[in-house]
Amino acid sequence: MATRRVMFGDQEVEIPEFNFKILPLLGAAFALWLFTGVYMVGPDEVGVVRTFGEYTRVTQSGLNYHFPYPIEQVNTPAITEVKRIEIGFRTLNNGQYRTVEKESLMLTGDANIVDAEMIVQYKIKDPVAYLFNIVEPELTVRQAAEASLRTVVGRNNIDETLTTGKFKIQEGTKIQIQLILDKYESGIHVVAVQLQDVSPPKEVIGAFKDVASAKEDKNRMVNQAEGYRNDVIPKARGEAEAMIRDAEGFKQARIKRSEGDAAKFTTILKEYRKAKSITQKRLYLETMERVLPGIEKIIIPDKDSGNMLNLLNLNPGKGGNK
Amino acid sequence: MKRLSIAIFSLVILFVLSTIIVVDETEQVVILQFGKPVKIIKEPGLNFKLPAPIQVLNSFEKRLLEYDVPPEEILSRDKKSLIVDNYVRWRIVDPLLFLQTVRAIPTAKTRLDDIVYSELRQELGNHDMHEIITEAREFIMEKVTLASNEETNKYGIEVIDVRIRRVDLPRENEASIYARMEAERKRQANKFRSEGEEEAQKIRAATDRDKTVLLAEAYKTSQQIRGEGEAEALDIYAVSFSKDPEFYEFIRTLETYEKVIDKKTTLVLPGDSKLFKALTQ
Repeated sequence: MATRRVMFGDQEVEIPEFNFKILPLLGAAFALWLFTGVYMVGPDEVGVVRTFGEYTRVTQSGLNYHFPYPIEQVNTPAITEVKRIEIGFRTLNNGQYRTVEKESLMLTGDANIVDAEMIVQYKIKDPVAYLFNIVEPELTVRQAAEASLRTVVGRNNIDETLTTGKFKIQEGTKIQIQLILDKYESGIHVVAVQLQDVSPPKEVIGAFKDVASAKEDKNRMVNQAEGYRNDVIPKARGEAEAMIRDAEGFKQARIKRSEGDAAKFTTILKEYRKAKSITQKRLYLETMERVLPGIEKIIIPDKDSGNMLNLLNLNPGKGGNK
Repeated sequence: MKRLSIAIFSLVILFVLSTIIVVDETEQVVILQFGKPVKIIKEPGLNFKLPAPIQVLNSFEKRLLEYDVPPEEILSRDKKSLIVDNYVRWRIVDPLLFLQTVRAIPTAKTRLDDIVYSELRQELGNHDMHEIITEAREFIMEKVTLASNEETNKYGIEVIDVRIRRVDLPRENEASIYARMEAERKRQANKFRSEGEEEAQKIRAATDRDKTVLLAEAYKTSQQIRGEGEAEALDIYAVSFSKDPEFYEFIRTLETYEKVIDKKTTLVLPGDSKLFKALTQ
């Protein structure tokens, strides 16, 4: 390589002669270097540009340019993407779940233990804060979520936690996580908190299930009794109705019969009045004719000579003492 | 000679480069001149210093740092043993002090561990287990944060948050909790079943009573109706028969004869009886 002599102070030094042949090469390298500043921001991303380490601007989706490294740098965090973390369980690759008891078991306010699983969804609300204020964002959210869930569950007793309080706990936890993340100026927004499954620990789940079945038993017993009632009361009502209808029938019959009898009497009376003595005799005799044939008759000629006792043995068919 | 000049040229470049400092958003730097701190830069941007080895750069994290304290067994005021798992969020606020006292993050974590653990143990010892689990938790965390912060000031560290991630009972205590929970549930189950029996019994008894009352009322009504029927019939008879009571008696006697006398009857007639006379006439 050619050199050139140059006076440097009172010394003479040789510096390399500039070789104009490498100029295009250097130009190409320079152009290439400039070209590394071209970057793309995806539709779900923003570009956060730092100039000499200092945050200077945010760029939007599309093709953008920054001065090449080391002058400027860009990060493109996905700000619309909703990230998800699981507390108390993990989804395995084959789509199955594995519980993480260390995370899911927690104390309730009345010193019972519940098994709670939760999903937290979050996204970046402030990309600058997100990039430059915190380390390990996922761990930050996870720790905040665990602490919050336990704090909120600790304020409730076991029955609330397992039943009616679920929504309250979910909302309370969400607010609490957001408070913590804002305190860290993390730039993270909690989109949703979902309590997946809140159940008693597996050691005592049998006893809890038995309570549920006892509740069922109670309902069943009451239903059976209601069934008994529904069977008995209508029947009794029917029976009562029948008694009343029967009585009404009796009443009507009684009246009709009496009217009939009265009518008969009135008719006969009318005839009788026409010839009282004769009719009376006739009626009497007619009756006797109807009644007397075929029956045994004993006639005592004289009232005074009649001794009833003498007659007793006359008739063998009528028993008597022999 | 040629090689020497290239070396010198490279040295010059290095020399120039080592005077440039790019401070990132995420860091803060302390510049030492022969070991003596001369400048602290907390704002990001382009800065210059004298070349190494005259001035050297020490860079420290500016972001919020994380320290997950290993779970510790701590006694509450009511002598209940609790496994407390907490974490600390902290940051380096005074990089020079930090550099002078702890130098690096691992050492800082050890200091944090000592300070936070002792503050936490002291504070938890002022509360009963029930309070720790329920309402006092946040109060405790705030108090421990403040107290720890006072201690860590001298290391150039600010504790932003000490947070209890989990409060659990030791394994051996869990068994007794489970036993209690189970007993509690058994009690509830028994209560439900007894209540079921009670209610069912009540419904059945009420049903039986209603049935009895219903039937008795029906009996009452039906007897009333029957009575009315009888009364009306009596009235009709009375009105009709009173037109000629003697004739009625006669007719009725005849009817009675017809009903009373049957094949098995032995008729004893005295000689002077009306019937005999009628028969003999």
